[in-house]
Amino acid sequence: MTTEAQAPRFFGARVKRVEDPRFLIGGGRFVDDVDMTGMLHACFVRSVEARARITSVDVAEAEKMPGVVKVFTGHDFSGSEVRCVSAYEGFQVSGYPALAEVEAKFNGEAVAMVVAEDPYQAEDAAGRVFVDYEPLPPVIDAEKALLDDSPLVHDGWKGNAFVERRYESPGFDDAKQSAKHSVSGRFVMARHSGIPLETRAAIGDYDKGTRMLTLWTTTQIPYLIRTGLADAIGFPENRIRVISPDVGGGFGVKAQLYPEEMACSLASIDLGRPVKWVEDRREHLLTAHHAREHTHEATLYFDDEGIVEALEAKIVVNMGPYSVFPWTATMDTGMAMGILPGPYKIKHYSVRGYPVATNKAPYGAYRGVSRPAACFTIERLMDQVARHRGLDPAEVRRRNYVTGDDYPYRSAGGLEYDSGSLVESQDLLLEQVDYSGLRRWQQEEREKGRLIGIGLGAYTEQTAHATKEFVQRGVPIVFGYETSTLRLDPNGKLVINSSIHNHGQGLETTLGQMAADALGIDIADVRVEYGDTSQAAYGSGTFASRSAVLAGGAARRASEQLRDQLARVAGHNLEASPEDIEFESGRVFVAGTPDRGYDFDQLCRMVYHRPELVPEGQPPILEATVAYDAPPGTGTFTNATQIAVVEVDPGTGGIEILRYAIVEDCGPMINPMVVEGQIFGGIAQGIGSAIYEELVYDDDGHLLTTTFMDYMLPGTTEVPHIEVFHLETPSPFTVGGIKGMGEGGAIAPGAVIAGAVEDALAPMGPVVVDQIPLTPERVRGYVDSARREASR
Amino acid sequence: MRDITLQVNGTEITRSVNPRRLLVDFLRHDLRLTGTHVGCEHGVCGACTVLFDGESVRACIMFAVQADGHHVETVESLADDPDHLHPIQQAFWEHHGLQCGFCTPGMLLATKELLAENPSPEEAEIRAALAGNICRCTGYVHIVESVKAAAEAMIAQGGSR
Repeated sequence: MTTEAQAPRFFGARVKRVEDPRFLIGGGRFVDDVDMTGMLHACFVRSVEARARITSVDVAEAEKMPGVVKVFTGHDFSGSEVRCVSAYEGFQVSGYPALAEVEAKFNGEAVAMVVAEDPYQAEDAAGRVFVDYEPLPPVIDAEKALLDDSPLVHDGWKGNAFVERRYESPGFDDAKQSAKHSVSGRFVMARHSGIPLETRAAIGDYDKGTRMLTLWTTTQIPYLIRTGLADAIGFPENRIRVISPDVGGGFGVKAQLYPEEMACSLASIDLGRPVKWVEDRREHLLTAHHAREHTHEATLYFDDEGIVEALEAKIVVNMGPYSVFPWTATMDTGMAMGILPGPYKIKHYSVRGYPVATNKAPYGAYRGVSRPAACFTIERLMDQVARHRGLDPAEVRRRNYVTGDDYPYRSAGGLEYDSGSLVESQDLLLEQVDYSGLRRWQQEEREKGRLIGIGLGAYTEQTAHATKEFVQRGVPIVFGYETSTLRLDPNGKLVINSSIHNHGQGLETTLGQMAADALGIDIADVRVEYGDTSQAAYGSGTFASRSAVLAGGAARRASEQLRDQLARVAGHNLEASPEDIEFESGRVFVAGTPDRGYDFDQLCRMVYHRPELVPEGQPPILEATVAYDAPPGTGTFTNATQIAVVEVDPGTGGIEILRYAIVEDCGPMINPMVVEGQIFGGIAQGIGSAIYEELVYDDDGHLLTTTFMDYMLPGTTEVPHIEVFHLETPSPFTVGGIKGMGEGGAIAPGAVIAGAVEDALAPMGPVVVDQIPLTPERVRGYVDSARREASR
Repeated sequence: MRDITLQVNGTEITRSVNPRRLLVDFLRHDLRLTGTHVGCEHGVCGACTVLFDGESVRACIMFAVQADGHHVETVESLADDPDHLHPIQQAFWEHHGLQCGFCTPGMLLATKELLAENPSPEEAEIRAALAGNICRCTGYVHIVESVKAAAEAMIAQGGSR
C-alpha cells in the first residue's frame, strides 16, 4: 500500500535554511569550541625532510618543560597505522602510521606528539624535541618515479606505482588507424586542495570506568572513522563513539582517517584524560590531504566533420606515500579513467592509469575528485579539434554530445549515463549570454587591441554513485547506501536521524523538505540530527554529491512508511480504507471530508498513548529506518555547461574574468537556493584551481607554500558575479528523480578559463594552454610562446 | 601575567593574562565567546575579525594586552536571539549568505563596519570591503546579495543599529 502524496509544499521551494540562526549568532559548536574538565592539549613535531630515516628522537628536554605531561614518539604507538588495501590485483600495500617511527615519508609527517596542560606550553615544548634525520633520496616527480632507475618510496615494492590499470575497448586499434585526424597534448593540473576555512581538530576522550573512547573530530564521515579507527588502533568498535559536531567546511579534505585522530585517541587511552589537538594553518597546508595532481597525455582521433572516434590516454596521479582510508590510492586514477570521455559519444577508448607513490603529502578527496582534471583534458582537446577543423568550439561540442535518444548511455569509460540535457543546456547557455553577440563584441575589442577570450566547458557529473560503482572501483568498503531513521513523537514532531553529515550543504533543511511533504506537516516541526555515531544506524557520510539523493531518498521512503502506518490507524478508527486517508497541512482525514479526521499530533498521540485504538499487528511506536541504495548503483548524472569571458594582460600575465555563466541540470531541485549556493561555491573553488591555487614543492620535497601569503585563495575581488540558469531533467531511477550536484561547479572552471585564455591569446599566435593554475608567470610563458609561434 | 580592563560587547571585563596570549584565544577560551573563529593564525583569512573601537581587526595577530582600555565587539554583540536578529544577520539568512558558517561571524562584522561608513554601497564597494574575508563555501555571490539587502533594510529602518 502506498498512500498518495499531496501537492508538494516544501519540495522545490526556496526554504530558508533551518541551520542558519545558530551560525549567525556565533552559536555554532565546532570541535575547537568544545571544552572538557581536565583536557590536555597536543602539539605535533613534524618531519622537516621529505624522506629521512629517523635515527633518534630526544624528548628529555621537552618533558621537563612547564606543563608537559608526556611526549609520545613512534615507538609508543608502534603498530597503529592505516592500511587501506585495494581489491585490484597487484596492489602494493602501504602503512600510514600514527607517528612515523623508522622513516618519515613526507615533509610534515608527524614524528612526535607533545601533550601539555595548555596549547602554548605544548607548542613551546615541541620546539625542544630533537629529532635526528638521516635524509634519503626523495621521490617527488610522479612521472620520473615510474622510471626503472627511480628510488623506491617503499622498500620491497616493485616500482612506485600502487597499481597499474589498463582498459581498451574492442576495435580501438582499427578506429585509431582509420581516423583521418588527431590532436594530442600533455595536460597538467597542479597539486592543490580543498582548504576548508576551519582547520582539522580532534579530541580523544577515553573513560576508564566504562572503557569508552569518544573521538570528537572534524570529519564528514563519522561512521567510517569509527570503523577505520577501530581497525587501525585495535580497539573494540562497540566502545568507540565518534562525534562530528559543526564542521567548518570539508570539500573531501575531512573525509579521511588521519594519523592525528589515531594519536589523540591513543594518547587519551594512555593518559586517561581528554587530549585535544587543533591544527594550525601551516600544518594544514603541509599535511591535510592534498589533491588534484594529475598529468594526462591524451590524443583524440576525429574525422573531417570534427566527429570524435577514439580517445587514447595515459593518466598519472601523484599520490604521496600512503594509501588513505577509506578511498585507497586508486580513487583518482580509477575515476579519471572512467569519466575521461566526458559528455561525448566516443566509441573507442584506450587508457592506462598509474597512481604513483611519492614523498609529497598524502593525497585524498577534493570536491570533484579527478573530474576537474578529466574535464580539463577532454575540453582542452575538444578546443583543439575545433581549431583543427576551423569550427566554433560550441559547434564541435554539439556534434559530439550524448543526446536525448542515447540515454541510458553506456560510455566508453564503462559508466551508465542515466539521463541528461547536454545539447539543451548548451543551447540555453548560448542564448542567455547571446553567444553570437559576444563573439562579435570580442572581434570589435580585438581590433582595439584588447586580449578578450571566451571559453566553454561541459561535463556530465557522476553523482550519488552507490553499490555497483564502488564494487567496480575495488575499494575495501562499498559505499552503497545512506540511512535515515525517522521518529514521530506523541506531539507529532519529527526527528530525522541520518548517517550523513552536514557542513554547509543545507541538509538540515533539505532532508526536512523531503520528509515534511509526505506527512503534510510543517518543516518547522522537523529536526535533523547527524554527526554522532551513537544516534543513527550505520552509513558512510557526506561526499561524492550523494547525501541529498541517498539520505534524502531514505528520509522520503521512511516518511512514506510512517504515513502508511498512520493511514492504517486513522482508517481503522474512521471506518475508512487507509488508501482514502489524506495528509495535508497538519490534518489527517478521509478524502473529500476534511472534518472526518484528526489533527496530525492527535493521531500521533493516539498511537503512543491509546494502544487499544491501534489496529492489531501495528506497532505502538512511530519509527522507521530506511537504508537507500539509489539504482542503478553507478550514479545519476547531472550535466552542466559553463562559459567565461576573460581579458588577459600580456604585460603582467593577469587574468580578469569579465563574465561567468552556467546552465546546470541536476534534475528536480529540492531547494533551488541551496543548489545555486553550491554552484557558486564550486565555481569559486574551480577559479582557484584555474588561476590561483598551487601547493609548490622544491626538488628536495619541501613544501614552499605554507601560508595564505603563498597559497592564494580566491576572494571577493577574484570571484566575479556568476549567472546561473537551470534545466530539470529527472533521473529515471532515483526517489523524486533528484540528482546530486555538490561538486559540479568545481569541475569545469579550469577547462573554461584555460580555453578563454587560449582564445584571448589567439590573435598573438597559436598556443595551447595545457597547464593550470594560470599564474601570472605561466600566462607570461604562454604569451611568449604565442609570440614565438607567430614570428616563425 | 598582566591585568587588563576592556569593554567586550559593552561589558567591562578585568582579567589577568599572559602577555603573549592572543586576543582571539582570550575571547574564545577565557571569555568563552566562541563565535569568533580562528582560520589561519596569520591575519589573512578574516575568520577572527572583531571590531576594535569600531574598526575591524584580526584578533589572531593581536595580543589581549593590546586591548587594554579599548572596546571590542564580537559577533555575539549583534543579536543572540534567533527570533530577533540584527538586520545584517537577517539578510544573510534570507539570501543564503552562509553555508558552513565558519567565516560568517567575520563577514557579519566586516559588513557592519562597511555599512556604518557607507550605508548604500555599490557592488564593487561591497566586494572591496570584504576582500579581506575568505569564504570557501559560497563563492561570495549570495554574500554580496546579503550585504545589499542588509543595507536596504537598515536604511528602511532608519540607519544602523
